Amino acid sequence: MNENEKILIIDDELQIRRLLEITLSASGYKIIQSVNGKEALVDAATHNPSLIILDLGLPDIDGQDILKKLREWFTKPIIILSVRDSEDEIINALDNGANDYLTKPFRSGELLARIRAAIRSIENTSDTATLSFESITIDLQSHTVKKNNELLKLTATEFSILSLLAKNRGRVLTHQYILKEIWGHGYSNQTQYLRVFVAQLRKKIEDNPSKPTLLITESGIGYRFAE
Amino acid sequence: MPDKFFTKYPNSTLLSKKIKHYLLAIIIVSVTALLCIPLSNTQSYYVVSFILLFVVSFLATIKGIGPVLVAATLSALVWNFFFIPPHYTFHIEKAEDILMFGMFFIIAFLNGILTTRVRRQEQLAREREKRTNALFQLTKELSKANGIEEATKVATDNIKLYFKLEAYIVLQNGENVLQPFKQIKEDKTLNEREYEIAMHAFEKLEMAGQFSGISSAHEKTFYPMKGTRLNPGVIVVKQNDELDEVQKILWDTFLTQISNALEREFLGELAQKVRFLDESDRLYRTLFNSISHELRIPVSTIMGASDTIISSNSSKDVQSELCHEIFTASLRLNRLIENLLNMSRLESGHFSVRLDWYDMNDLINKITKDLSEELSAYHFKVVIDDEMPLVRIDFGLIEQVLYNLLINSTQYAPDSTEIALSAKHENENLIIEITDEGPGFPETELKNVFMKFFKVNSRKAGGLGLGLSIVKGFIEAHNGTIDVSNRENGGAKFTIQIPSEKPEIKKQEDTIHE
Repeated sequence: MNENEKILIIDDELQIRRLLEITLSASGYKIIQSVNGKEALVDAATHNPSLIILDLGLPDIDGQDILKKLREWFTKPIIILSVRDSEDEIINALDNGANDYLTKPFRSGELLARIRAAIRSIENTSDTATLSFESITIDLQSHTVKKNNELLKLTATEFSILSLLAKNRGRVLTHQYILKEIWGHGYSNQTQYLRVFVAQLRKKIEDNPSKPTLLITESGIGYRFAE
Repeated sequence: MPDKFFTKYPNSTLLSKKIKHYLLAIIIVSVTALLCIPLSNTQSYYVVSFILLFVVSFLATIKGIGPVLVAATLSALVWNFFFIPPHYTFHIEKAEDILMFGMFFIIAFLNGILTTRVRRQEQLAREREKRTNALFQLTKELSKANGIEEATKVATDNIKLYFKLEAYIVLQNGENVLQPFKQIKEDKTLNEREYEIAMHAFEKLEMAGQFSGISSAHEKTFYPMKGTRLNPGVIVVKQNDELDEVQKILWDTFLTQISNALEREFLGELAQKVRFLDESDRLYRTLFNSISHELRIPVSTIMGASDTIISSNSSKDVQSELCHEIFTASLRLNRLIENLLNMSRLESGHFSVRLDWYDMNDLINKITKDLSEELSAYHFKVVIDDEMPLVRIDFGLIEQVLYNLLINSTQYAPDSTEIALSAKHENENLIIEITDEGPGFPETELKNVFMKFFKVNSRKAGGLGLGLSIVKGFIEAHNGTIDVSNRENGGAKFTIQIPSEKPEIKKQEDTIHE
């Protein structure tokens, strides 16, 4: 498994790189390591990894700037792994094109799950007309959603939110991003609308709306569709 | 208030005022004499002498000694000239009339002198009383003043009230150096030259400027304030005339009172600084001691457990158990760091509350998931009101609040008991309750629960005693309140109230897809 997946780890802390190397190698990933921003940009270009794990606090270039530079050409997933835990920093990173954000200290199980989800989401972006997850099937052409083969009655807005999240499966979308995509710029601060629609959506698609497994809340940041 | 107290007139008006007094005395005597002319033909010129004596004594009660003496002399001469026969001469025929005239003259004189003296003494007493009152007022207000700034204001206000002088006080900076010119410049009260004179007065402790030996060409006068242990600064006033003897005495007393009061304030502030340093030193030591303890325990666990795994051929089971210990220790370390960071955020005041609309279900799901391991030993019950609207909170902060409260419950409540979390919305308030079936808190300690470093003996080890004080800080940052009480059947109950209006949501057009 994962034989062909190369992961580039960008982190200046030797101990973290070691830990990641051991953990990720054990799961069958090939590991490349960079200890600073300059090296990282070269390594990313020469090795073209399947995924990048990026620390924000690098000695030479700020992680957010590296992220922006990488995103000029690198289309595969980038996961941020940083001690910086302020919501601003996280939202910034996601807006700059990060697929996911994990704060240190982290649980390695959690990291592996995020990596798998991120890689899978890339594989799934082929322009299929239908997306299916567990019991849910979303038909993007006919704008219909089925749960256990039963047609669900969704409003236009509910469908837009669901398909936006589902198309970006596994990736955290910030509140501002979703609001802008669905309602337009004027609404980017009106989180309450998003909350109401997400609650309605959950009632329709989740088995247990109070313990959602598909539409997952990322505290203070946004939403993610389950891996 | 004594408005005309110490009022001074320029010299020219003073002179004309004096002349007026003399003129008035002469006029009054003359008019009285004229009115008495009908009596001049009779033998009752003695009556006239009594009337004139009365007028002189009357004048003595309202005029100074000069006019009274003039009035006495004049009335004696008038009496002699117009009334004592033979009329219209100063010549006196009868021997007894000569005696009468002499006695009249002496009585008028004595009468005038004595009465003015009594009056003058009374006036002095009144002035003395006013001075005493002024001083009393100043002392009273100074003793009530709270802090250097207030005392300074009281001082300048009172100087203005009793001396009619605009005063400005240049204080020292607390380290026996006059406060720098830059600070004063902003008030535009003193220029640089004046500041130099003030500096001189402060350092040499001598009066400077106008009416003094130093820089006397200057229009302002600089009085140094002398204290017993430190000198508070300099009082600068702009006065037109030099103070007279009496005023000088009062001014010196004022100066002493103000100096003492300001000195007291300075010393008080100094003492407070020392106390504050002591207190923060104590806190620092407490924090340092408990942090090193809190750090050592998990680090020892990690070191010991991992060392065993590396060096011995222990069984897979033992190894896995040790790994579990390492994991638990790391969680504990992480919690410690989290609390320290939160505490320093709170203490520094550099943290902002980012309010947004959230679904309580999301928040509680997150907590339940994060704490699933810690809560697994308990019956964890969650009750969220069905009608729960969205609430306006800072997700991260309230998450930390609930996290700390639940961790607190797991630390004290015995296994297999119930820990309950409920949330509802009432009267524009979000209300969260957390209850456990642990031992609760000792009644006497309830008021201290949210204090920093507060700890009661925990069933499980650990904690700096910061968790609950962080909870309180975060709730208060939401303008909310948190209360703790003991439940009737044992256990603790925390009640959180956070003001949160219901969200305004406009109905939107939305079509249903079939």
